[in-house]
Amino acid sequence: MARILIVDDDENISALYEEDLREENYEVAVASNGKESIEMLKTFMPDIIIMDIRMPEMDGIEALGKIIAMHKNIPIILNSAYSSYKDDFRSWGADAYVVKSSDTGVLKEKIKEILGRAGREK
Amino acid sequence: MNILAVILAGGKGERLYPLTRDRAKPGVPFAANYRIIDFTLSNCANSGLRKIVLLTQYKSFSLDRHIQRGWSFFSHQMGEYVQIVPAQQRVSEDWYQGTADAVYQNIYILEQERPDLTLILSGDHVYRMDYRSLTAFHLKSGADLTIGAIPMPKETSTQFGVMVVDKDFRVIGFQEKPKDPATIPGSPDQILASMGIYVFNTKKLVMRLTQDAKLSESSHDFGKNVVPSMIERDRVFAFPFVDEKTKRASYWRDVGTIEAYWDAHMNLISNNPEFSLFDRSWPIYTYEPPLAPAHIISAGIPGEGIRNSIVSGGTQIVGARVDDSVIGRNVRILEGSEISQCIIMDDVQINRNVRLKRTIIDKRVVIPESMVVGHNSANDAAHFDTSPTGIVVIPKLMRFE
Repeated sequence: MARILIVDDDENISALYEEDLREENYEVAVASNGKESIEMLKTFMPDIIIMDIRMPEMDGIEALGKIIAMHKNIPIILNSAYSSYKDDFRSWGADAYVVKSSDTGVLKEKIKEILGRAGREK
Repeated sequence: MNILAVILAGGKGERLYPLTRDRAKPGVPFAANYRIIDFTLSNCANSGLRKIVLLTQYKSFSLDRHIQRGWSFFSHQMGEYVQIVPAQQRVSEDWYQGTADAVYQNIYILEQERPDLTLILSGDHVYRMDYRSLTAFHLKSGADLTIGAIPMPKETSTQFGVMVVDKDFRVIGFQEKPKDPATIPGSPDQILASMGIYVFNTKKLVMRLTQDAKLSESSHDFGKNVVPSMIERDRVFAFPFVDEKTKRASYWRDVGTIEAYWDAHMNLISNNPEFSLFDRSWPIYTYEPPLAPAHIISAGIPGEGIRNSIVSGGTQIVGARVDDSVIGRNVRILEGSEISQCIIMDDVQINRNVRLKRTIIDKRVVIPESMVVGHNSANDAAHFDTSPTGIVVIPKLMRFE
């Protein structure tokens, strides 16, 4: 079973993602900001990370850079309500950029695609 | 066209020890009045590049102070700046792992500035180059990356990254310090050596740096990793750094060893130096403290006088003999002393009847009366750092009993 870490400060969003992804038989963990996600990687090693951008304490762009420096092989999908960060050079280290929507279909497709590429499809 | 210059100024310069004991290599004094970094910064200023970021890392205090004192004439209001950026561990908790990593870790600066082109320079070299020729060549070639390259004799290939180019100077291969190098088309005696100077289309730079950052087997170095990885998939060109009139290699030195450092100074004071400090069309800027002019005073001692030397402001030479030497600021050389083929840095005092030959004295040293250095290699080696050919280096602030 592939493991996913969701990083988002909006509990409604994480709850929605968690539910939808569990239905797809993924093992899911949740962190509420960038700093917490980095802490969590000490005990939970995911196969992919879904990372919000605007969060308190440490935003998703900073966390992205730090996670790449420590764990080069974990794919990261940036997932923001704003498309404007897509052009930001600091976001280019992400494996994909998905704009938030109430329909999680696009995100789920992206996860499948990236896990498939990495040979980690469940 | 918005161009940002990024100067890598973190070099440790270990082979220049003890001149680099207290300072990074770009901060090492050069040619009496200058620091090595001044040459690259002056190239930027004279080329009309006025947005400059200096990435520092080791022992940067001396360099920071020099930049603040000497390079604050850029106008922030006009969008000009020389900005020192120390290693901040923004992304990783490590020091910079390689030259590419140094830029990658500061990618937020590229994001803030969003330059069309990014010029990556080394703060370690002495040369005079108009970067406008380089960027014009880059644009004309439609390149993603253009590498500054200097023709060198074939025999020197094991010291350089050597580029294999086609007739348009598109790079089709790269050899790291090869024994059997590719030569320049039409010049079988010469190789095209990388100067460690790069012009990138910024977006391509960010893309390739970001990819390189995820490769665990990479040492995150431009010369070793990023550039070789681009040759097949991107448009990479070499810009030959030659004199436009003579078509011969222009002056360019990596003064990376004590020998090279001393040789470059001896060349400066020769009758017809390869690199002239007197070119008024290309001034070398630096920090200029308010000092009196140099003053040479006779004491009626036979043989006293100065020949083939550079002498800086604030210096007094009284009844001494100075031959083939570079004398910094605020130096005092007293009666009966004989200085030959030496480099004396700022604030040094040389007392009476001292004899110095092939000696480099770093700042703020007092040489006691009647001391002899550089005339007896066994004695020199017992007391000082000496180079393979016996050049003596007396480190900054060294005290003698």
